[in-house]
Amino acid sequence: MSIYEPYRGIKRVLFYVWLILVAVWVLFPFFWAVENSLKTTEQTFTRGAFLPWIQYQPTLGSWQTVISDPAAIRALVNSVVISIATTLIVLVLGTPAAYALARHEFRPMTGRDIAVWFLTQRVLPPAVVLVPYFVLMVHLRLIDTQIGLILVYVAVTLPFGVVIMRDVFRDIPVELEEAAFIDGANDLRVFGRVSLPLAVNGLVATAIIVFAFNWNEAILASTLTSRVAQTLPFFILSSRSTRGVDFNTAAVNSLIAIVPPVVLSLVIQRFLARGLTFGAVKG
Amino acid sequence: MRRSRAVKYAFLVPAVLWILVVSLFPLASAIYYSLVQYALGQGVTAFVAFQNYLDNFHNPTFWHAAWITAVYVAVTVAVEMAFGVALAWSLTKRVWGRQFFRVLFTAPLFTMGVALGYLGVTLFDADSGPVNFFLGFIGLHPPWIASAFWGLAAAIILDIWRWTPFVFLVALAALESVPGEFYEAAALDTRGEWPVFVGIALPTIAPVLTIAFLLRLMEAFKVFGLPFALTSGGPGTSTQVYSAMVYLTTLQFFDFGHGSAMGIFFLAVVLLIVLRLFRVMRAQIE
Amino acid sequence: MAERVSRREFLKITGVGAALGAGGALSALGPGQAASKLLQSSPVAPYESPITPERVSFLKGKPYKGITINVMVLKATVGDGAKYHVPHWEEETGGKINIAEVPIETLHQQIFTDLTTGLGRYDAYMTGAWFYGDFFVSKEPYIVPLDDFIKDPKHPYWVPSDQIASMRALYTWEGKQYGALFDGDAQILYFREDVLTKPANRAKFKAKHGYDLPVPPRTMDEMHDVADFFTGWDWNGDGQPDWGIALHAKVNEQGFFHFLTLAAPYVISPDNKSFWFDPDSMKPYINSEGHVKALEDYARFVRNGPRAMLQWTLGQGWNLFLAGHSVMEPTWGDLPTLAQDPKASKVKGRVGAAPIPGTKRAFNPKTGQWKSYSLNQVANVNGGSWHLVLSRFSKQKEATYDFMAFMANQKNAFFNATHGWTGVQPSMPYEFLPPAGTGSIKAYEEQGWNAHDVKSFTDAYYKALTAPLQETYLRIPGAAEYWHELDVNVSAVLAGQMKPKAALDDVARKWEGITNRYGRDKQRALYRKSIGLE
Repeated sequence: MSIYEPYRGIKRVLFYVWLILVAVWVLFPFFWAVENSLKTTEQTFTRGAFLPWIQYQPTLGSWQTVISDPAAIRALVNSVVISIATTLIVLVLGTPAAYALARHEFRPMTGRDIAVWFLTQRVLPPAVVLVPYFVLMVHLRLIDTQIGLILVYVAVTLPFGVVIMRDVFRDIPVELEEAAFIDGANDLRVFGRVSLPLAVNGLVATAIIVFAFNWNEAILASTLTSRVAQTLPFFILSSRSTRGVDFNTAAVNSLIAIVPPVVLSLVIQRFLARGLTFGAVKG
Repeated sequence: MRRSRAVKYAFLVPAVLWILVVSLFPLASAIYYSLVQYALGQGVTAFVAFQNYLDNFHNPTFWHAAWITAVYVAVTVAVEMAFGVALAWSLTKRVWGRQFFRVLFTAPLFTMGVALGYLGVTLFDADSGPVNFFLGFIGLHPPWIASAFWGLAAAIILDIWRWTPFVFLVALAALESVPGEFYEAAALDTRGEWPVFVGIALPTIAPVLTIAFLLRLMEAFKVFGLPFALTSGGPGTSTQVYSAMVYLTTLQFFDFGHGSAMGIFFLAVVLLIVLRLFRVMRAQIE
Repeated sequence: MAERVSRREFLKITGVGAALGAGGALSALGPGQAASKLLQSSPVAPYESPITPERVSFLKGKPYKGITINVMVLKATVGDGAKYHVPHWEEETGGKINIAEVPIETLHQQIFTDLTTGLGRYDAYMTGAWFYGDFFVSKEPYIVPLDDFIKDPKHPYWVPSDQIASMRALYTWEGKQYGALFDGDAQILYFREDVLTKPANRAKFKAKHGYDLPVPPRTMDEMHDVADFFTGWDWNGDGQPDWGIALHAKVNEQGFFHFLTLAAPYVISPDNKSFWFDPDSMKPYINSEGHVKALEDYARFVRNGPRAMLQWTLGQGWNLFLAGHSVMEPTWGDLPTLAQDPKASKVKGRVGAAPIPGTKRAFNPKTGQWKSYSLNQVANVNGGSWHLVLSRFSKQKEATYDFMAFMANQKNAFFNATHGWTGVQPSMPYEFLPPAGTGSIKAYEEQGWNAHDVKSFTDAYYKALTAPLQETYLRIPGAAEYWHELDVNVSAVLAGQMKPKAALDDVARKWEGITNRYGRDKQRALYRKSIGLE
């Protein structure tokens, strides 16, 4: 019996029931967001308004409000640029660092000590360091710029990349690399041709997680940007106004915000993963 | 060994430098502010040593927030780890629609906490929300966010929805990195699925899971947007998590002194917990 | 008839009547300007009216060509209101405005990180009235007075002194004008006139309480009776039980304004003007017997609505009223505005409005005594009263003021007040109906208002704004923090987690901590100034 084999008989049925139940659990909030995006405030808080046209009259009013706002488009573009740039920088800086920590010692410290140091960089609640970050960005003249936000985002998500990737590299048998060294390859070549391709699953997962963190980050964004570099989360925060929370535009905003990363994760998982694995030295 | 010293430093140093340059000043500032009295517009008005810390320790709201956060962390992280690993294990199989499920189960990761909190207000609305609509069939009608207990429960449910994909992703990546031969070997010995999972898969991915667990733990301790958008910490301060308290103190009231002291205390406690767990778990594994 | 007499009295008290009596807003003299010279329209200033001749000649040269100013506003509602006027001003003056729209969550934080770090990227900020104290904490205030600019006739014409005095107080500091007219918030009582006047309801009410169902309720006791009476049964015939009152009580929202509004007549009286602190010692009044009684009563009101109200935000509270499930709601003028939208409201044309009911007895925290009154009614200017203020760091103060005054010009201000989506509430005579003001029902009707609703809303609003007794607004540094501590404990009381007395004692203790941090003497001086004692 291999665990890759699907179940048979009744177990197979139960297994799919389980997957479908989880799918419903995951999908239901999205479904409800779609509902909210098509309702008025009154309908949102009317009992038993589930089925459009039958139980309530749907409207595209909230969609129009959001889409007709040029600031929404700008926020979307900023979010895409900042999140992708940050993720790329984190991978470029973080993967080699993680590799070095997995394979080398840095006496008197161990790779683990340094990894722990990276880990601890994520602990401080952002509210405490916001104003210092603001002051720092004032001095660097990077307030309300994409670069300023990228600079900070890399610093706060890099530890993630490093810590996760380190363990991914550690899972790769050293023997594979040593074989390559014996064949005369140098460090860079071993890293690029042997280790990296084997770590591709971890790399993809890391990229997705880092991207998600930047994509959803609101606290830093709402202090370090105000107009030019506004991102989508900042935009979603403004679903709340002097009239309280507008749950309908909030739903529209969050649905718009979910599409790019889902598409991106599809792309990454389908093509990037396959492409990189293709060039891998089979172990 | 032919590994080169130059390369190992060249690999590590840029990442370390980037973090140091960007993070050192804010951290130093926070420590400084935690030791002074600060008021908006007046700036630093006095050096008070540890008075801000002591004030916080005498504040019942402070301990309540810490307690609420501890409960939140314990429940969410435990459930998310179990749920995420179970899902990942399910999808290592060559099941129909694997890519679809995989992307689907990842999707909640891309929702923003605040947006989910607002959505939660409508999902958990006691009168018109779908949750109580379905619970009504079994005769339940919890007040959800109008009460402390149910409000926290609602936040925890949404948190599990949002963060399970994190564990799922990491666990799946780790499981897939395990060379097939490991399982082939196990296949020869047909002891059933559970022993293969516990005896082979789990120990193999344990190091990565440990890291996922610790990262999840730290993020959960810092949780803010989701529960705050959902309940605003209310009724009263009954569901106010620690980071919400820090946020209000620091950024709404510009009380940098007490706020920074809260932050540094938090840093110390969470570091202690995380490092201790790290040691213990690594010792078990290695 | 009695109403008309009292309105006349109000006019006399506030001094607004004199100006109006002479023929409306146009006759009010601007500083150094002769009324006769004002123009009603000009091709160079198509978005202004009235206009001074100096303004006309000034605009001919597109005076702000090449100048860019940066303005931070709230996102949505009042911010949209300001944004609407930007292209018009740009067209007239040749200047350029960058608008930064910021969510309400972060507005205060954005303004004060910008100011305290001395970055000063913005020439003007949209501010809530409770931010005011925070602008005056530094040695040199963060904002500058507008008086010199107002005197210069080349800027858009508006007369600050026309604004109703209680509201104008929120635009000034120590007698100087810092804000340019925009929004004017106050909470009054809205009720379902059709339901309260329905004979069947009236008969049933009288049988139960022994007196005629009051329309509107005039005392808090009557209001409790009405709220109680309409709670828990289906009076609108939709098959679901309905409610006596709509409120929203989620913490960190604006629910505590309901409490402030309803608590005022228990503490403010002809014998006591201070709601918050003892103006001599800065000791909190908030745990006085009057406040405790007010909180007990407030908790009773909350029981006359759905339990979920405890965690509702503002819009959800309004929705209960707009959907026709609640008979009363003490709130802002957005409610009658929203009621005009048939998509969102089932109550168009049925909305009555009245000043907040009073009490027969009020507590004087200074003397520690209760005292009886025939009727102690206290109005308020609770809310944001959002408007622009001019930054000390601005390098384009004149152009920035020009934009602020542009929105304060009658044509634009009236536009804001009559268009619901701007979220702007009226506070100028030309926004109210005769005889109090010079506005017209027609202007409101053109914006889709129901004539009955306009009249009852603007009349009651005017009455409230010009009422002799007003709850003083908290405008000292740290106002948001003082309010937050009150807010969370009020919420805890409503949820049954704390007793009123213990909750307010706790608030008082926390307020002392805040006062000490900002400096007691500094706070006392600012508090006395903010309530006009010095």
